[in-house]
Amino acid sequence: MDQDKNLLDKLKRIEQEANQMDAQAANESAATADAAPQTDAAPITETPVTPEIPAEAPAPAVEPEQIPATLEESREEKSVAPVEAQETAEPEPTIAEEVTEEPTEAAVSMSTPDRPHSDRIPDCAKPDVHEEKNVGEGMTKKEAMKIRMQSMNKQEIAYLRRKMIFEKCWPVFRFLILFGLGFVILTPLMFMLSYAFRDSKDMNDPTVMWIPRNFTLTVMKQTIDAMGLTNGFFDNNPLVNTLFLNIGCSICQVITCALTGYGFARFKFKGRNLLFGIVVLMIVVPTQIISIPLYMTFKNFMFGAINLIDSMWAMYLPAMTANGIRAGLMIFIFRQFFRGLPKELEDAAYLDGCGPFKTFLKVMVPNAGSSFLTVFLFSIVWYWNDYYVSSAFFTNTKTIALVLKNLDTTLNLAIFNNANAQVSVREKIVWLEAGCLISITPMLILYACLQKHFTEGIERSGLVG
Amino acid sequence: MWCSMSKKQGKGIRMPYERRKAMYGYGFISIWLIGTILWFLIPLFESLCYCFMDNQTLKPDVGGMKKEWLGFANWEWLDNFRYAFAADPSYKQSLVEVLKDTALTTPMILIFSLFIAVILNQEFKGRGFARAIFFLPVIIATGPVYNIINGDMGTTGVDSGAQFTTLFETDIVDELLAFLGVMNISEGLSEIINTVTTDIFGLVWSSGIQILIFLAALQNIPVSAKEAASMEGATAWEYFWKITLPYVSPMILANFIYTVIDSFTKTDNAVMERVLTKQLEWDYAYAAAMAWSYFAIVMIVVGIVTLIVNKFIFYEVE
Repeated sequence: MDQDKNLLDKLKRIEQEANQMDAQAANESAATADAAPQTDAAPITETPVTPEIPAEAPAPAVEPEQIPATLEESREEKSVAPVEAQETAEPEPTIAEEVTEEPTEAAVSMSTPDRPHSDRIPDCAKPDVHEEKNVGEGMTKKEAMKIRMQSMNKQEIAYLRRKMIFEKCWPVFRFLILFGLGFVILTPLMFMLSYAFRDSKDMNDPTVMWIPRNFTLTVMKQTIDAMGLTNGFFDNNPLVNTLFLNIGCSICQVITCALTGYGFARFKFKGRNLLFGIVVLMIVVPTQIISIPLYMTFKNFMFGAINLIDSMWAMYLPAMTANGIRAGLMIFIFRQFFRGLPKELEDAAYLDGCGPFKTFLKVMVPNAGSSFLTVFLFSIVWYWNDYYVSSAFFTNTKTIALVLKNLDTTLNLAIFNNANAQVSVREKIVWLEAGCLISITPMLILYACLQKHFTEGIERSGLVG
Repeated sequence: MWCSMSKKQGKGIRMPYERRKAMYGYGFISIWLIGTILWFLIPLFESLCYCFMDNQTLKPDVGGMKKEWLGFANWEWLDNFRYAFAADPSYKQSLVEVLKDTALTTPMILIFSLFIAVILNQEFKGRGFARAIFFLPVIIATGPVYNIINGDMGTTGVDSGAQFTTLFETDIVDELLAFLGVMNISEGLSEIINTVTTDIFGLVWSSGIQILIFLAALQNIPVSAKEAASMEGATAWEYFWKITLPYVSPMILANFIYTVIDSFTKTDNAVMERVLTKQLEWDYAYAAAMAWSYFAIVMIVVGIVTLIVNKFIFYEVE
């Protein structure tokens, strides 16, 4: 069926071509005296032939410039032109005769008649290429392009033009978009920098916008004092608390989540899907739902024997059992990652007599280094920024995020001497921005140093695929 | 081969290999399992129970919560839900508000982050720097810092802040709509467009992770697909619709779910605020009922959308 259809198509096409050839022949006979019209006609005959060449042989790496170059030459040496045109015109009837033949054979036969020195297509194409190279070398790129355009039909030219315009304009647009949006992102940070180092009265000065008129460090100092960052090391210093909580919990959580993720990725056991469903549930259920029962659990830990509220254990215990902040997401990431590692690695380790745990430690962990780092970094960021969970469990213990959250009241107390002072935000904004700046600086530094691991680690950590 | 061998060897003496491996699997997840039961499943169950308890007696006491179940007669056990939906003045209102808000912003975030990811995936000078800037919100936007920044941008700045918000506000949209006469046809449409255009700040700042995920998905598009498209002479437009979108589609779903969950669980959305204030007022039963009904609605919405979207997703494997 398909063959028949193909044949029909071919016949149709050949008929059309034959008609074209007839017209061509008429043209030719009329133009033997004058070669000029011949060159104009040449492109028409050229177009149907060129597609055949790549199909037949890869050898004529006919760099597109070369084909039009044929024309170029034919234009220059006008006496040759008619012969050239005839060459290209003649083969067509041969195809018409040999309809049943394979197209390749047809192409071969088409090259035979006028070229005794070559019986294969690549050879017949090659000489032209070599001759034309000399012509093509002298041209600039623009000229070459122009000539190339002549051999194209309207659609191709339109396509190229559109593509060119797009390629020229796009970088400009891209720059504008990225610049504009980057500006939106960076504005608050620039505000912070600009506000944190100015005197409060600058805020009421309409002429001050970005660059402070009264540059001072007192605001920073006051904020640092108010946040309690100058407290002694063991004196409930938020920075120390946060670091202690942050790094410890992150390490615990990464280790336990990696173990769990590996268990889900590589072992088949009953109820695995159900248990993994619980992991997904952990991602989906907001902490707010479980925070009160959890509070009660910690308050009456060990059947009321121990009160864990306001102690670090309330954060450490969940982290140690892979249930800390966003633990579900981390287990998910690890599972995806371990599933992506080749199984042969483990099989080799098993053959060498490693137990599963040793395999995990000696084979999988070294391979998962970058993934570990990524998850660890994200964990640090999440713990650093968390204030909901810590505000639920801590009453006196302060962390940076908690302090920042309550900075409003703290400031009222520290600077305006009244916890309930009705100070407009505009007056306080200098201190608030200073507080923001202080609390994000460590994360910014971390981000600047390990930016690659943040941004490129995600794909390696296997969140995708 | 090795598997079958060890199976044969171990059959008489030790546990079969499969069973042994399953046991190791349990071993690996046991730590998590204990933690989950203690810190997740039990509290979850307990808060579910709170929904059906008497709000007046449900108070923390020495050694645990004082509890009293609501009676089963007369649908009394639904009292807390009845309170949430019928008596509470602001719950229903804020619920609708949050749902509307999320329905509006989620598609915007998805489209925007895909767009940015496609741009950031191209080769150009300073790409690393641009990426670093666009992922910056991932670091900052999760904490209380975002609230302060956002508050500043919205309310305080009479001088500089206001200038920037007006910069992004663009009344042009309004004027354009008025010019087209659309304004008369639908007030709602212009309202939607307005919220979208005014909140570019929120949009950019809340789509960091989404950009990251999309970018990773884009980098996983096989080179062969790219080459084939360029051989066929696909324009960038065609390439986006025929190659990029199908390959990225699984991640669109993932991003959708992430975005929805993220915006629903934000502590600063209206419903969450209501739940938290109720908790602070010691109305635990009401708070639990509100939180659970909210959660159920969210899950139903996500489930339905997932089912619909799943049909249009192109999975390379399978």
